[in-house]
Amino acid sequence: MAKSNYSKIDEYGFERPDDFDYKTYDEFMSHYMRTLTRRALRWNSVYKNRNFKKNNTMKRFIRKGIPANLRKTCWMAVSGAEQCRKNSALSYQQLRGKIENSQISETIKIDLPRTFPDNIFFLNEKQLPNMLYNVLATFAHQNSEVGYCQGLNYIAGLILLVTKDETATFWLLKTLVEHLLPKYYVVTMSGLLTDLDVVNDLVQKHEPTVHRHINNIGMPWAMGTTKWFICIFADVLPTETVLRIWDCLFYEGSKILFRVALALIKLHKLEILETTDLSELMTVFKNMKNHPRVIDCHGFMHYVFDLSGSLSSRKIDSLRLKHTK
Amino acid sequence: MANRSGTAQRPNGQSQGKICQFKLVLLGESAVGKSSLVLRFVKGQFHEYQESTIGAAFLTQTICLDDTTVKFEIWDTAGQERYHSLAPMYYRGAQAAIVVYDITNQDTFGRAKTWVKELQRQASPNIVIALAGNKQDLANKRMVEYEEAQTYAEENGLLFMETSAKTAMNVNDIFLAIAKKLPKNEQNTGQGGSVQGRRLTEGNTEPKTGANCCK
Repeated sequence: MAKSNYSKIDEYGFERPDDFDYKTYDEFMSHYMRTLTRRALRWNSVYKNRNFKKNNTMKRFIRKGIPANLRKTCWMAVSGAEQCRKNSALSYQQLRGKIENSQISETIKIDLPRTFPDNIFFLNEKQLPNMLYNVLATFAHQNSEVGYCQGLNYIAGLILLVTKDETATFWLLKTLVEHLLPKYYVVTMSGLLTDLDVVNDLVQKHEPTVHRHINNIGMPWAMGTTKWFICIFADVLPTETVLRIWDCLFYEGSKILFRVALALIKLHKLEILETTDLSELMTVFKNMKNHPRVIDCHGFMHYVFDLSGSLSSRKIDSLRLKHTK
Repeated sequence: MANRSGTAQRPNGQSQGKICQFKLVLLGESAVGKSSLVLRFVKGQFHEYQESTIGAAFLTQTICLDDTTVKFEIWDTAGQERYHSLAPMYYRGAQAAIVVYDITNQDTFGRAKTWVKELQRQASPNIVIALAGNKQDLANKRMVEYEEAQTYAEENGLLFMETSAKTAMNVNDIFLAIAKKLPKNEQNTGQGGSVQGRRLTEGNTEPKTGANCCK
């Protein structure tokens, strides 16, 4: 059995669920390992000096996945987080020193043990939860418009699992929240609500039968997709797939989220159309993470970009304008 | 397959009475135990550290009440204040709501009252609202008196129970009390072919047995 080849805990510390499909995972990993090796060699030859500048080669390389050991440095460079850190009058440590005991700090503390309780680094150790508290509380105190929004705990938590670096996690989180996903996490969540409407329009245009079917069942779009956008697929899709999406998000910005949403809908089109009621429909949404083509993160990203080549930034901008809250 | 008549075949082949399906929403401040109540009711489990809910989670559970099978479609919502703008989508069209507070935290009781007011104003006029004072196992740290909540519930026509998702106290009971209070007319049976007898035996949707149920 393939099962014996893999630990019950994945490489990021998450416990694999009881219904984990080891066979599908094994099939995927048997060819993905070769891809990873090949990509690592390419990165090492082209980016020997770790000089990550935004250009077409970088974009192409990033779409094929950043090697795990380079993610932190590369995310920092291409997202603008490194620049943000350099431009800041105060260092992270100085900002962290300003954390006060406030209502927000208390709220964050309540959420710490409720963040990835199935992950060994969060469950069994103090270090990562402490770092997570520092990052979230520092962020909340330096951005009073956002403060703390539930969901940021998962995002910062996953960045921490990847980088194991508190300072980098803070600057990456700040860049995500303040530049890449503007107004998603503010008190009104206006940017999020706008983008949920944009997805609705895009699905209506690209997959009208699915759109009609879901409307007939009576599910508002946001019910299926809110968590996708708030957590930027963390705790929604398999970790490796999420990180591949984030690679593109940090380089290209939020358009990737719409591409992924459309790809997920398209991949599950038949299953969605076969549903006859809300609970069946929600089950399809809940199980998307188990689809072999979603687990195969490399193939999935190919699919995402092949599919939505025509999704222009101008189109997204105009839809966002139409739905501005 | 889809059973549109509203009657279901029981696993043992016996014919059963009608099936009613209800949409139920849980509302309340963050970390009062909404997801834990649902997890206890649907799966009989309790996690000391339950993941914080983002957006909302959807679960179903079926209980038997005399000759009626009641299927709850449960929307478990996120509690943080800023998710408030998403809430109407979940309580719109709901036939029942459980508004949850934490008996060790007075602020959460205030927030529960705000939810009740909003439901009374904006949800379906006939919605059955239950108030759940959760974390009863922590009664030694109680900040909200039982009598205070009970009086409030009576004044507002709410069902009221103190519950504990941890010990399971009153968890099934509160859902059962709601099921009893809901109107079981034809309107709620077998809508759009959505009621399927087979589901009653599947996985975690196995029917719970209520007080006078499924004898």
